[in-house]
Amino acid sequence: MLTQLHHVEQSLNQVILGKPRQIRLALCCLLAEGHLLLEDLPGMGKTTLAHALANSLGLSYRRVQFTNDLLPGDLVGMNIYDTRSQQFHFQAGPVFSQVLLADEINRASPKTQSALLEAMEEKQVSIDGETRPLPKPFFVIATQNPLFHAGTSPLPESQLDRFMFRLSLGFPDHQAEHQLLKHDNNQSRLTLLTEQLNTEQLRALQQQVPQVHASDALLDYLLALVNNSRHRSDMLPLSPRASKAILRSAKAFALLEERSYVSAADVQQVFPYVAEHRLDPASSAQDSRLSQVLLQQTPCQL
Amino acid sequence: MLKQKRLMVVWLGLQLAFLLLLQEAFTLWVSLIFAALLLTRFATLVYANTSLSLKAVNVIGACVAVALLFNLKQAGVLNFMLQILLLAAVLRLLALRQLFEARQLVWVHYFLIGCCFILHQNMLVALVIITALFANMYSHYLLFAPAGSNLKPANIARATLIILPLWLAMFLLFPRLPPFWQIPTAKVASTGLSDTLDPGSIEQLVQDDSLAFRVEFENGVPERQLLYWRARLYEDFDGRRWQENPLRSGSNYRNVHQGATPAEATLDYRIIAEASQQRSLFALANPWQSSANVNIAPSGLVLATKPVSQRTSYQLSSQLQPVAVLSEQEQQLNLRLPAGNEQTLAFGRQLKAQHPQVPALIDAIASHFRQQPYFYSLTPPLLGANSVDQFLFDSRTGFCSHYASATALLLRAAGIPARVVGGYQGGDWHPEQGYLAVRQREAHAWVEYADQGRWQQFDPTAAVAPQRILSSLDDALSAEQRQLLTSPWQRNALLNNLRQQLMHLDYYWSVWVLGFNDDNQRDLWQQVRQNLQRFAYGLAFITVLALLVVALLWWRRRERPTQPQAYRLLSKTLSAMLRHKPAHQPLSAFLRMLAEQQQNEQRQLLLALITSYELALFNDDAAALSALKQQLKQHRNTLRRLHFSAQNT
Repeated sequence: MLTQLHHVEQSLNQVILGKPRQIRLALCCLLAEGHLLLEDLPGMGKTTLAHALANSLGLSYRRVQFTNDLLPGDLVGMNIYDTRSQQFHFQAGPVFSQVLLADEINRASPKTQSALLEAMEEKQVSIDGETRPLPKPFFVIATQNPLFHAGTSPLPESQLDRFMFRLSLGFPDHQAEHQLLKHDNNQSRLTLLTEQLNTEQLRALQQQVPQVHASDALLDYLLALVNNSRHRSDMLPLSPRASKAILRSAKAFALLEERSYVSAADVQQVFPYVAEHRLDPASSAQDSRLSQVLLQQTPCQL
Repeated sequence: MLKQKRLMVVWLGLQLAFLLLLQEAFTLWVSLIFAALLLTRFATLVYANTSLSLKAVNVIGACVAVALLFNLKQAGVLNFMLQILLLAAVLRLLALRQLFEARQLVWVHYFLIGCCFILHQNMLVALVIITALFANMYSHYLLFAPAGSNLKPANIARATLIILPLWLAMFLLFPRLPPFWQIPTAKVASTGLSDTLDPGSIEQLVQDDSLAFRVEFENGVPERQLLYWRARLYEDFDGRRWQENPLRSGSNYRNVHQGATPAEATLDYRIIAEASQQRSLFALANPWQSSANVNIAPSGLVLATKPVSQRTSYQLSSQLQPVAVLSEQEQQLNLRLPAGNEQTLAFGRQLKAQHPQVPALIDAIASHFRQQPYFYSLTPPLLGANSVDQFLFDSRTGFCSHYASATALLLRAAGIPARVVGGYQGGDWHPEQGYLAVRQREAHAWVEYADQGRWQQFDPTAAVAPQRILSSLDDALSAEQRQLLTSPWQRNALLNNLRQQLMHLDYYWSVWVLGFNDDNQRDLWQQVRQNLQRFAYGLAFITVLALLVVALLWWRRRERPTQPQAYRLLSKTLSAMLRHKPAHQPLSAFLRMLAEQQQNEQRQLLLALITSYELALFNDDAAALSALKQQLKQHRNTLRRLHFSAQNT
């Protein structure tokens, strides 16, 4: 199954050029059953990434453009009265999909944001007192625009905490962009992506993640790293949820590297993407200053 | 540089303080030399910020030392030593260039601070000396503290708070040797049995829980019934109160039987008596040989040569038989009857008529006490003029002194010479420490009567309250009376235990430190010479043990238990290279960088090493760990020769 996952990775790399690292991290986040926050300018390929991921994994995909008048019901769905059958029937919202791209999440009202974040955390929604489970896997890729803050409601730190990773795709390098321009058939390539891995296989892979071995020494290192953030004035402390997220994503990272154990390097690889938006909610995704400070200041005797 | 200058100023001040404090040890010209030297240092510090050359300092030092040596006779050895010590410190400061040269100076200063106490014990001066101590500690800190650490008042306060109880405990509990120049102070009230015995004096003693003396036996502790420690003889009775006969305090001591061992079984023991301000000491039965610091009186009592003002230890050897009757005069002395107590006298005469034989008479008295309703009590009713009559026929309640006094009078009335003996009975045996502790509360009185040429011992209390003799005073008393004897804090088990431990500690101190005299030393050396071999084994054992402990401590310091084993193994072999590893970098990442720089073979080796290291560390793989050990062992030398170039990274 891992080889198929690597095929997925390869084909993603053919669609989004020059970003192998971000693609691996996105897959890592998916494997770790976390949600992804992409912070990028428009046109950097966020939608493409989400779409490509859904296509190559054979997952159902919806995209919601968040606006300030988007209501929770628009997102999770609502009971609609059918005049013909004279009864209410449930009209599922876009949240009932396996990959949900929540575009410009910071444009929506806090109420709508909360509805989404609740769905993300609980993996279920309650409508009119009825609880409906969301499909599995349920993977949210939210994007937010770092530059244009007018009329936006930035996510508070408690809600940022719900996203396992915060990534930025960033500008492609010269060669990649050259390639992009030369073969201007991005959209067609996306449609060409075939399903490499079915949902069951993905679920099985996700279930392998917790079984990746993490030695006591490694856990101690991770805790030292996390502890270092506590009792400091220059950053917010990392919560136990954050340390769980670090461990889980490090395990997923190790799995992607085809290892059955987590190494200190895995932790160091994923740490900035898991930690930075929790340490400083106001920072931008390109910046990993505080997490680098922590990494530098925590001696690694492993 | 700033730190260094501050250090210099602190030291200059400190040495100036020494110069002033030790003034008494210096003559004027010596002080002037030191002052001049310090001034020179000050000048070089302020104006040039240099120090004198080592050569110049050596020449100055030699000259001053020679001058001091010539002055040795005048100054005396102690003063000379102090001068040399200060000279060394001042010269070191004078030639100081590098901070590391100054490390030993801190220690010399500590020693000088101690020396100040030789000349000064005044409280105010002590404050100055303590200030000097703090100044030196500050310099110590400046010198040894790692860079970047700063002294916070909160930390100092916390450290002080932590050390304060320890300091207090040291001050309160640390045993102090009495200074040899101590002048005998004003008379201190004496403790223990006095030279008179009136009904009630022993009751008071019994309430005193303090230690009277301790005993070590050479050959095991005798039975409790034998432990009658004689201290005083009361032979004059005025109808109410017994008194020591003034003749007894004379100085005609029995000659100690030198050499001749008596046929009787003897008991050898050592007594460590507490200070009592009295001359009378303690002995069992009939002592015949003693150490030189005490005398044995003809009556079998042991007397110190002067009142015991500090803890005294003496050796005794006793025959377990009664003391001999010395003379007719002594018998007559103990037959005198005072006026009064007619009933008792009549009873005595009547007993004599019934039992002409002395042993039978004694039995009769004992059975009288046993069969009639007599009570043993710490709080007897007050008695009038004819105290013995009242006790024997009225109250019938009394303490050992009542019984002893009544019995002695009965015997005298019956025409048998009898006297009251004051002393102690029993004691607490501490088997672990191997000594018997006799407290004031063990004070006791009994009777001696002359029969068959010896002063036979008879304890009427044993007839009334056998528990007093067989087990302890507490067992002989009722619960209420026991309650009376113990003060509230003694009922606290913890405090009591602490007190016991302190007493034991005190015992060891007195035996091993205070009591360690020339004799003990000589004995020890003789034993060492005799048992050299056994001692050698012992010494070797202790040395090995000490080395083991040191090695263990060193090992534990070196290998921090927080590091996993695989990391320790690798870092030990590659210690030279690991200096280049940034602290936050995982070891395997560093090794990969290292592998990049190596040629084929070494690169393969390193990559294999990384694999087994990662497996051992992150996968808790025991097989990989042993493989890692194997690899490290096999390629130790190759690995040690590896070279890491920081530029290439």
